[in-house]
Amino acid sequence: MHFSIKGKKEEGLKLKPLKKGKKSGSSSQRTRKGKLISAGYLFPSAFGVLLFFVLPFMIVIYYSMIDNPISHEFVFFDNFVSVFNNSAFQQAAKNTMAFSAVAVPLAVVLSLLLAMMLESNIPFKSQFRTFFLSPMMVPIASVVLIWQVLFHYNGMMNEVMGLFQQDKVDWLNSSYAQVVIVVLFLWKNLGYNMILFMAALSSIPKDILEVAVLESATPAQTFFHIKLRYMSSTILFVTIMSLINSFKVFREIYLLKGDYPYDTMYMLQHFMNNTFSRLDYQKMSAAAIMMAIVMVAIIGILFLTENYFGKDVEG
Amino acid sequence: MKKSKKLILAGLVLSALLAGLSGCKGKEPQKEEGETKEFVYVPEYVDIDIECDYIYAMAAVGDELYMNAVAWDDEEDERHEFLYKYNMLESKGEQLPIALEGDYNVAGMAMGSDGNLLMAVSRYEYDTDENGEITDSRSTLELITVSPSDGSVKNTMDLTEVMGGGENAYIQQFTVDGQGNIYLSDGNSGIHVLDKDLKKICDITTDNWINSMLASNEGDVYISSYGETGMELKMVDLAGKKLGEAVQGVGGGFGNREFFPSVSQSFLVRNSEQISYYDLEAQATQDLYKWLDVDINSENVNYMGELSDGRIWAVTRDYEASASTSGGPEYELVLLSRKDAAEVAEKQEILYGTMWLDSNVKRNIINFNKSNSQYRITVKEYVTEDFQSGITQFNADLTTGDCPDIIELSSLDFSQYASKGILEDLYPYMEKSGINKDDYLENILKAYEWDGKLCGLIPRFYISTSMAKVSQVGDVTGWTLEEMLDFAETKEPEQLFQGSTRDGIFYYCIYNNIDEFINWETGECMFTGEGFIRTLEFAAKFPEEYNYNEEEEREGIASQIRNDKILLMQNSISSVQEYQMMNGMFGEKIAFLGYPNSERKGNLIQPTGGCMGLSSKSDKKDGAWEFMKTMISKEYQDSFSDERGGGWGFPVRKDALEKQFEKDMAPEYYEDENGEKVEQPKTTWGWDDFEMEIMAATQEEVDGVKALIVSAEKLPGNSNDEQLTNIITEESAPFFKGQKTAKDTAAVIQNRIQIYVNENR
Repeated sequence: MHFSIKGKKEEGLKLKPLKKGKKSGSSSQRTRKGKLISAGYLFPSAFGVLLFFVLPFMIVIYYSMIDNPISHEFVFFDNFVSVFNNSAFQQAAKNTMAFSAVAVPLAVVLSLLLAMMLESNIPFKSQFRTFFLSPMMVPIASVVLIWQVLFHYNGMMNEVMGLFQQDKVDWLNSSYAQVVIVVLFLWKNLGYNMILFMAALSSIPKDILEVAVLESATPAQTFFHIKLRYMSSTILFVTIMSLINSFKVFREIYLLKGDYPYDTMYMLQHFMNNTFSRLDYQKMSAAAIMMAIVMVAIIGILFLTENYFGKDVEG
Repeated sequence: MKKSKKLILAGLVLSALLAGLSGCKGKEPQKEEGETKEFVYVPEYVDIDIECDYIYAMAAVGDELYMNAVAWDDEEDERHEFLYKYNMLESKGEQLPIALEGDYNVAGMAMGSDGNLLMAVSRYEYDTDENGEITDSRSTLELITVSPSDGSVKNTMDLTEVMGGGENAYIQQFTVDGQGNIYLSDGNSGIHVLDKDLKKICDITTDNWINSMLASNEGDVYISSYGETGMELKMVDLAGKKLGEAVQGVGGGFGNREFFPSVSQSFLVRNSEQISYYDLEAQATQDLYKWLDVDINSENVNYMGELSDGRIWAVTRDYEASASTSGGPEYELVLLSRKDAAEVAEKQEILYGTMWLDSNVKRNIINFNKSNSQYRITVKEYVTEDFQSGITQFNADLTTGDCPDIIELSSLDFSQYASKGILEDLYPYMEKSGINKDDYLENILKAYEWDGKLCGLIPRFYISTSMAKVSQVGDVTGWTLEEMLDFAETKEPEQLFQGSTRDGIFYYCIYNNIDEFINWETGECMFTGEGFIRTLEFAAKFPEEYNYNEEEEREGIASQIRNDKILLMQNSISSVQEYQMMNGMFGEKIAFLGYPNSERKGNLIQPTGGCMGLSSKSDKKDGAWEFMKTMISKEYQDSFSDERGGGWGFPVRKDALEKQFEKDMAPEYYEDENGEKVEQPKTTWGWDDFEMEIMAATQEEVDGVKALIVSAEKLPGNSNDEQLTNIITEESAPFFKGQKTAKDTAAVIQNRIQIYVNENR
């Protein structure tokens, strides 16, 4: 049977040599033309990616291996060693990691909880949704102003604490500073994550959930074995977005405390920003590459995890 | 086939990337837009052969320039006024005696419609008593018609009534239009117009101060004044007896601009940077050239216009040269011809990058460009809006390879740029040029060294210091912060120094010596130490802002110092005479303590007249050095020594400094009624309530200045590092409001500055 099929195929080839030749000529022309058209359409994007992403990254790699942007002496990995041993960099890396380790899981878990809460039939659902989304609409400079009023030494938080005979806390100039930033980050990002999770929840096939109910599955079983699995790609996306946003929290800290905040608020982007403004491009580039490597590793792990948990529900 | 295509594509991508990389490291400075010019303006300097002390008024009629000048006649001990007519095409001058009597001032000159010269003058008359003392004075305003051929007065008209008849009326501007109508403006924004027969046509008033008034090439008269959005140019509308609408395209906001007559366009417009045409029909300006490109110092331009052959002329006077040589003013005519760029010999351009162009450096650049046939200095000023954007642009130029050949370091953080290897070592260049570094003050050169390399060059300097009475602090040459605080806290003065504020205390105790609190070797910060905490507590005793309302009521500073109400005087010493005055003001021996410093070396070197570094990336280092070495040349250094005591800083060359000291020590005499030589004061110096006659300096005083100069070894600390000052100012505010303890405040400051230090190590 196997051979006969092969034989048929071979026969077919023998029977139509000319036609095939003609066909293959016009089809290859079409293919070439198609490729050219595709290339034409792709070129602007490809050129943009090369120009705005690949080229800058190559330049960053170049800068990370020279002594400074003026003399351009090649120093190989010296900058990586010096930056890695720099105590300011270590402090920034530690703070950034600690912040991301706390803020990202919280941002994912809390927004998922909120999404599930709003999916259930609770009163004032749409009002709650608007409430959680509203921080996204407030400009960051205004947000920071509000936060300054809240957490200033003479701010509202200390006033409230004073009512309970508690000592004032210098929120922004103490070890509590990172707590303030975590709260600010969650306040700013929960709404967006929540909307993504709500969309994911609504796209879970209803029949599977109904089958689960008919099979007497508990809500916890439904959540962990069906909902979570179906949402795995959204969880991955939200985690990656939150991770990226956690690196961007520099913007809020910068507006709160400038280039040099209290040490617990000092992030990697402070280090890079400050080294850039002092023309230490080599330090900035080395730090950026190290950060990129860690980011790629984390995102790679996240992809593998998602692949492992979510493969059986995909496509 | 496919493989080869992929390889080609990969090659193209790689070459694009490499091109991008090489673009970051390009060594050739990028030419600015419009830098390659088709035409250039070439200056020709003409001696107009006028011997005078001052030119009161000028008027150009065609190619002839009329000047009303005054010269002091030493023999007859009286002033001599004359009219000088100069034909700019033929380079011929003619002096015409002008028969005006009494004391008068020429406010303006213009050619009347009948071919006679009209002069608007203010004449002064005085009443005197029997001793010759003036008891009363009057002024009359007159329009005098003068023959341009022999200077004879043909007619005099009293303008007092025409100008409103007020007691304080004066002629501010004067011009004549194409029809021969005469326009006069008074100091109260009033414009008074007479016809050519001297009959009044109208009076027009405006709300704004009139900056200038002149006739356009079209024959109408325009006034310039500052309106709500900037400078406005408005026509005087005789038919409507009012001012017309402001013309468009004058541009430039509130910047200073002057208008001059033109032959080919409506006006010539000049500002401090460049000269342009203004066309009324097109309502647009057309830029011609920058003053520096034609080797003219815009500050020296008195008057300008355009000749019938298209050349632009300017009468200049070198005020600096006049002041320093104590000679008469040096008026010069510069004729600027438009030529094909190809016809003009090309020079190698050396780029001088600066935040702001110092007036002394500007003068030196002009002199260098005039005299050097091989190189030409061009200037790039980085600060156009604010300082920070200037720094950002400068840094961008550095990193993209577009770095200036010469870097002006006065406004930059010297150590930051020196540590990056941007600045070339200047010692080998000095040696190559036969300049012996031992001829220069060692401490000054050392202050501009980085790793043993000379990275900056200054022509002059002064010493920034603080002074106190020796009877109060002892005969010391410096003090530590603790010693200073011990002293100040014991004495409890009303003010530590004049106008003491918290910021002032910080600047004195911390900012100027910030490195005292930071060990850059180990990265240790000492802001939680006793010194800083005591400084915080000490600063809290002073107001946040100085109350200037009390200024009028307060006692004079000399009196306060003598009565120990003020303990310290922060000032700079830039001459022996200033040193003498300070001693006089204190009334007793002074200790020059400088700023608190653990090594008791707190006197700081402040550069003046430029501070230049040579870019290590420049490919025209030799040319750049040609200019830089003029800063320390014997000739230039000697030119600083001044009979009148200098006061603009000490030269860095030892023999020039000694020459200045000799002049400071040379007594001046006058002959008394018995014919005997009596020493007279060289000059008079004053400060607030204090005034003193400066006699020839004694050896002891000169030695004191020498000791002060030698004691200064450091440049001002990183006080211009806003990061540090911002952190301290921001975090100390709650302490001053009583919300935090000094210890807690210091801990936060320490924490934040520690990051800064760690980052920079």
